[in-house]
Amino acid sequence: MLKRVFQIILSIGILSFLVAACVFPVTDFVQKDATSFITIEADITNEIGSSKIRITNSANRLQSVLMLPVTKATVYVTDEKGIQTVFKEGVVTGTYMPPAGFVGKVGSSYQLYVKTLLGTEYLSDVETMNPVPSLENVVSQFELYDQYAKGDPKRVGWSIYLDFKDNDREGDFYQWNWKHYEKIQICATCTGGGLWNFTKNECNIPRTPNDQIWNFQCDGNCWDISWNNEINVFSDALTNGQRIVGKQVARVPFDGYTDYYFRLEQRAITKSVFTYNQSIISSVQSNGSMFDVPAETKFSLNIKSKTNPSERILGVFNVYSVAKKIFFINRSKNIPQGERATVSPLLGDVYTCPPGAVGCQERVPCFESPTRTKIVPEGWNL
Amino acid sequence: MTKSFTKVFFSIILLFLGISQAFSQTTTLPAIYGKVIDAQTGEPLKGAVIALDFKKSGTKTDSTGKYKIHLPFGEYVLKISYVGYNPYRTRVNLKKDQELNVELNDVTKQLEEVIVSSSSTKKDIQTPSLGVTILSLKGIKKLPTMMGEVDVIRSLQTLPGVSSVGEGSNGLNIRGSNVDQNLIFIDDTPIFNPTHMFGLFSVFASDAIRDLELYKGGVPARFGGRSASVLDIKMIEPNTENFKMQGGIGLVSNRVMAEIPVIKEKLSVLVAGRASFNDFLFKLVAPDNLKNVRANFMDIATKIYYRPNNKNTISFSNYYSYDYYRVDSLFSLENVVARRTNFDYGHQNFAVHWNHYFSPKLSMMLSGSTTLYDTKTYAPDTVNTINLTSSINYKNLHASFDYIPNEVHKLNFGASITRYDIKPGTLNDGVVSRVSKVYLPDEHSMEAGLYVDEEWKMSEKFTIQTGLRYSHYWQLGEGSVNVYAPNQMPSLNTIVSKKTFGSGDVMYSYGGFEPRLTMKYSIGKDATVKFGYNRMQQFFQLLSNNTTPLPTSRWKTANEYIKPQKSDFVSLGLFKTFNENVYETSLESYYRDVQNTVDFVSGANLQLNPNIETQLITGKGKAYGVELMLQKKKGEMTGWISYTYARAFSQMIGDFPEVQSINGGNWFPTNYDKPHTFNAMINLTPTLHHSFSFTFAYNTGRPFSSPSGLYEIGGKRYPVFTERNNDRIRDYHRLDFSWTINNPSMRHVRWEGSWVFTVYNLYGRQNPYSLFFKSTKNGVKPYELSVFASPFVSLTYNFKFL
Repeated sequence: MLKRVFQIILSIGILSFLVAACVFPVTDFVQKDATSFITIEADITNEIGSSKIRITNSANRLQSVLMLPVTKATVYVTDEKGIQTVFKEGVVTGTYMPPAGFVGKVGSSYQLYVKTLLGTEYLSDVETMNPVPSLENVVSQFELYDQYAKGDPKRVGWSIYLDFKDNDREGDFYQWNWKHYEKIQICATCTGGGLWNFTKNECNIPRTPNDQIWNFQCDGNCWDISWNNEINVFSDALTNGQRIVGKQVARVPFDGYTDYYFRLEQRAITKSVFTYNQSIISSVQSNGSMFDVPAETKFSLNIKSKTNPSERILGVFNVYSVAKKIFFINRSKNIPQGERATVSPLLGDVYTCPPGAVGCQERVPCFESPTRTKIVPEGWNL
Repeated sequence: MTKSFTKVFFSIILLFLGISQAFSQTTTLPAIYGKVIDAQTGEPLKGAVIALDFKKSGTKTDSTGKYKIHLPFGEYVLKISYVGYNPYRTRVNLKKDQELNVELNDVTKQLEEVIVSSSSTKKDIQTPSLGVTILSLKGIKKLPTMMGEVDVIRSLQTLPGVSSVGEGSNGLNIRGSNVDQNLIFIDDTPIFNPTHMFGLFSVFASDAIRDLELYKGGVPARFGGRSASVLDIKMIEPNTENFKMQGGIGLVSNRVMAEIPVIKEKLSVLVAGRASFNDFLFKLVAPDNLKNVRANFMDIATKIYYRPNNKNTISFSNYYSYDYYRVDSLFSLENVVARRTNFDYGHQNFAVHWNHYFSPKLSMMLSGSTTLYDTKTYAPDTVNTINLTSSINYKNLHASFDYIPNEVHKLNFGASITRYDIKPGTLNDGVVSRVSKVYLPDEHSMEAGLYVDEEWKMSEKFTIQTGLRYSHYWQLGEGSVNVYAPNQMPSLNTIVSKKTFGSGDVMYSYGGFEPRLTMKYSIGKDATVKFGYNRMQQFFQLLSNNTTPLPTSRWKTANEYIKPQKSDFVSLGLFKTFNENVYETSLESYYRDVQNTVDFVSGANLQLNPNIETQLITGKGKAYGVELMLQKKKGEMTGWISYTYARAFSQMIGDFPEVQSINGGNWFPTNYDKPHTFNAMINLTPTLHHSFSFTFAYNTGRPFSSPSGLYEIGGKRYPVFTERNNDRIRDYHRLDFSWTINNPSMRHVRWEGSWVFTVYNLYGRQNPYSLFFKSTKNGVKPYELSVFASPFVSLTYNFKFL
C-alpha cells in the first residue's frame, strides 16, 4: 500500500516532467512557403553497381511523393588523372549510371559535373575516397528497452554492436547502413473482396466491396527489403587510431522467430558528407527535445552552380568506400521469459483458383522495386 | 369575481399572519448589535452594511455607527463591510443577545503587501528609476507554484517584459534579451545557470531571499558587464534578536531555514537549505523504465551577519548549488560510444561585505566575492570512459560610496574589478580511456569599471539621474591566437599562423563609456513621466545554439574575433496611482539596439573546439515593446493584469555574408519573439486563515522554422528548411490556482503550519513548447512537444517556528 502511495506521488512529482513531456502529431499543419530546388544525389563508391547519380526537383509540398526527375542532363565525373567517366541516364529517368564495371578507387579524387537541358551547369568540390577499415566484430544481443510497455514493438529486439579499428590518420568519418531481406510467400493482398488483375497488375475494386481479404502467393522467389531509417555517423575526432568498441549500429525487431538476414555496411565518408548528415540528424532525428538546435537545410554544400552561384542546391556529392558483413541473427535463442515476438498475423485467405476454372491465375509475380526483389540476396543460405 | 375576492381575502389573512409573526419575533428573538468604527481614527462609520449568510442585503449602521439585528436562534455568517475598507467576516452562534463591535481598516491606509512594484512605491517615487521591478518573497509565495516549488524565475515570468522560450526552459528573456544578456546576482555574486533540472526549477532557495530587484531598463551605473538587464537578489539579513526557523515539505524538495542570533543584537547566522529527495523515490518505486534515471539537486545559502556597532556591519554570505543527473541517452558527448551519461554541475559563491557609515552623509560598501561554476559530464564505461569538465572562476572586488551632501543631490560612485579564469573544457584528464584527452587552454581576462551616478532633484517635480560607467576589458595570457588569411573566413583551412602570448600578457583589450540617464517629471501628486537611456557593454557570453542553453554550455570572454556586445536602450514610462495608492497603473515603452551579438554557423561544433571563432557569426539585435499594467495593491483582493506587446529580432550577416548570413541577411524573429502577452494574477484573502490565488498567462506562440517542401536522398525523405523562424507555434495559455491554509489549528503557538494546495495548468491545455518534423517511412510529419500537457496537482506543508 505504501509503495502504491509513493507511486502516485512519484507519478505526479518530479518524474512527471520526464514522463509527461508529451509529443503529439500535428494534423492541421499548413505550410508557410512552397519552393522547389534541384536535388543532386551523387554516389561514387568502390562497390560495383552502387555508383549512381540521381537528379530530381524537390517537392514543394510536405505531402508530395513525386520528385520530378531532371532528365537528359550531361553528367560526368573526372578523377585526379583527368579521366572522365560519363554517367548515362538509365531506365529510371533522372538516374544516371556509369558504364558497367565502373568502381571508384580508394585514394582517388573525383569531381562531378552536371549540365541540364536548360544549360545550367553544376560542379562539385573535389572529393577523395577514404579507405574503410574492415568490420571486425559484430555482436547481436537481445535487449529489452523497458521504457516501452509490453506489446510495443520497440520494447524487444536485438541490438547490433560493432567493433572496428579506426585508421591511424586523423579525420576519418564513418557511416553505417543496413539492409534486411525477408523472404515472402504473399506477393499481393486485395481488400474489399477484390481480386488481382493480372493485366493491369493491381487489385480490382469491386462495385460492392465486402470484408473479404484475398492474399495472392508469389510466383517464385521473392524478398521484401527493409533498411535503416536513421542516419548513423561517427567521427574519429576523439578516438583517432583507436579500436572502437561497442558502437551500436542497428536495432533488429523481434517480429518473428526465423533467422534474420542482416547486411551491414560500413562506409568511410568524407568530411562534407559527415557534416551534411549531421545537419539532417539535428533537423529531423535528434530533434523534439527542449534543447533542439535550429532546424536548417544545408544547401550547396559541395555542389555549386557555375551559372548562378547563388542558386541553392539540395543533395551532396558522396564519395565513399564500403566494407560489409552479411550474417544471420538467430531469433529463437536467449529470449527472456515472458517476451514474445510481435508477429502480425496474415489477415484474410489465400486465394486459390476454383477447380476447373479456365485461364485462372493465382500466383502474382514478384515486381522489382526498391522494397522488393526476386534476385537472391548476396550471401543468402537459408 | 368570487375567485378574485377569495384570493384577496387569503392574501390579507396571510399578511396578517406574517405581521403577527414578525411582531412576535421583535419581542422575543435575540439580537446582534454593536458599533462599527474606523480602526485608525475611531470615527464611527455610517452606512456600513451588515449582511447575513452571504446575502447582499442587510441592515446598515446609523450615523453613530450603531446597528442592531434580531434573528432567530442559530448560526450565522456575518459580513460587515464599508466602501474603501477591508470587510470583516465572522461566524456567530446566536443564543442570546450578543454585542459585536467591529473596527474596520481603511484600505488606503493599509500597509501594502508589495508583491510586485513597477515604479511608484515610495522608494521609487524618490528616485527616477525606470523599468525597475521589485518583488517581495512574501508576494512570490502567494503565486501558484509548479509542483509546489516557490520559484523566483517562474514568478518573474508573470511580469510584463519577462519571458522565456517555453515552459521549463533555462533562463529568462527580458525585453528581448538573450538569456546570457541578463546579469543575475545573489548577494553580489553572479549566477551562471539559474535553474535546476535543466530548467525546471530556479536555483534560489526561496526562504533565504529577502527581495529581488529586476532592472529591465534604467540600470544604475554600479552594474556592468551584461547588455540587457540585472536581476539583483538579496539574501535575508538574519534576525539578531530572536531565533526563527521555517521550512517546508513538498513533492519535489524539502527545505529548512533558520535565523540564529549568536550574540544578541550583534551577531547572527542564517542557514537555508533545500534538497530534492527524488533519488530515494526513484530507487524505491520508479517504474522499470526510469529506474536508471537519477535526478537530484540541492542548494544551501548561509550568511553570517555581524554588527559590532552602529557604524559598521560585516556579512559573509555563501551560496552553494549542486545538480546531479544520470540519464540513458540524453545529450551525450558527440562521437563517443557511451550508453549512459552522468552530469553534475553547480555554483559555489562566496561574498564578504563591509558597510561603514562615516557620517549621515557618507557611507561605504566594500565587497569581495568569488563564484566557481563547474560542470562535469561523464560516462564511466570500461574502455570508452569519458570525463569532461569545465569551469568558470569569477573573482570580484567592489568599492561603492554613497554621498548625500544635501536634500537635492545624491551621489553613488565606486570602482569594481573582476577577473575571469575559464577552463573551457578538459576531456579525460588523468583518465585511462580509448577516448582521447583533449585540453582546451585556460582563458584569463579582467574587467574593470569606474562609475558615478548622480541624482539631482532640480525641483519638486523634476529629478534627473545621470550616470557614467567606464568599463575596460583585457584578455590576458598565457594563450595563443590564430591568424587567418586576410579577407578569408576563419576556418581550419585559412589559419596562416599563431600568435602566442606569455603569462599575464595583454592579448587583446576593449573599453568604452556607458552613459546612463533617467529623468522623472511629476504631473500632480499621483502621476509621473519618466525617460531613460542606457548603454551597456558585455564582454562575456554564453555560446549555445540550443533552443534553451544546456547547463554545460560554454561561456566565452571577448577576444580579437569575438567583440563585446554593446546595447543602447531607450525607454519612456508613464505611471499613475489612484485612490490613495490602492491602484497603480503603468505604461512603459522601450527600444533596444544591440551590436555584436553572436549566432552560429550551421552544424556548429561548440564543445571542445579550440578554434571557436570559426563557428561564430556576428550580427545585430533589436527589440521594442509596450508594457501596460494595472495593479490593485491593497484590500481583500489584490492582483494585477498586464498586457505586453514586444518584438525581438536578429540580423546575422557576418563578415562573409555569402557563406555566413542567416535568412539571407534579413531580420528574423528570435526564438523568444512573442508579440502579445497577457498576464493576470488575483489573490483573495477573505480571512486570516485562507487565501486563494489565480494566475492566468497568455502569449503568442513562439517562432519555429517551417519547411517549404521535401526532398529525397538515400531513399529517405527530409524537409527543406529555407528560412529560420518563419512561422509560429500555437498560442500559449494557462490558468493556475493555489489555496493556502494558514495556521489551520487557529491556535497561537510558536509552531505555525500552513498547507498550500496548487493546481498548475488547471484546465490541462497541451501548450506546445516546439513544433518539429520527423522523417518517417511515409514522408515528413510535424509533431508538437508539450512539456506540461496536463494539470499538475501538488501539496506542500510549510512551517514556521518563532
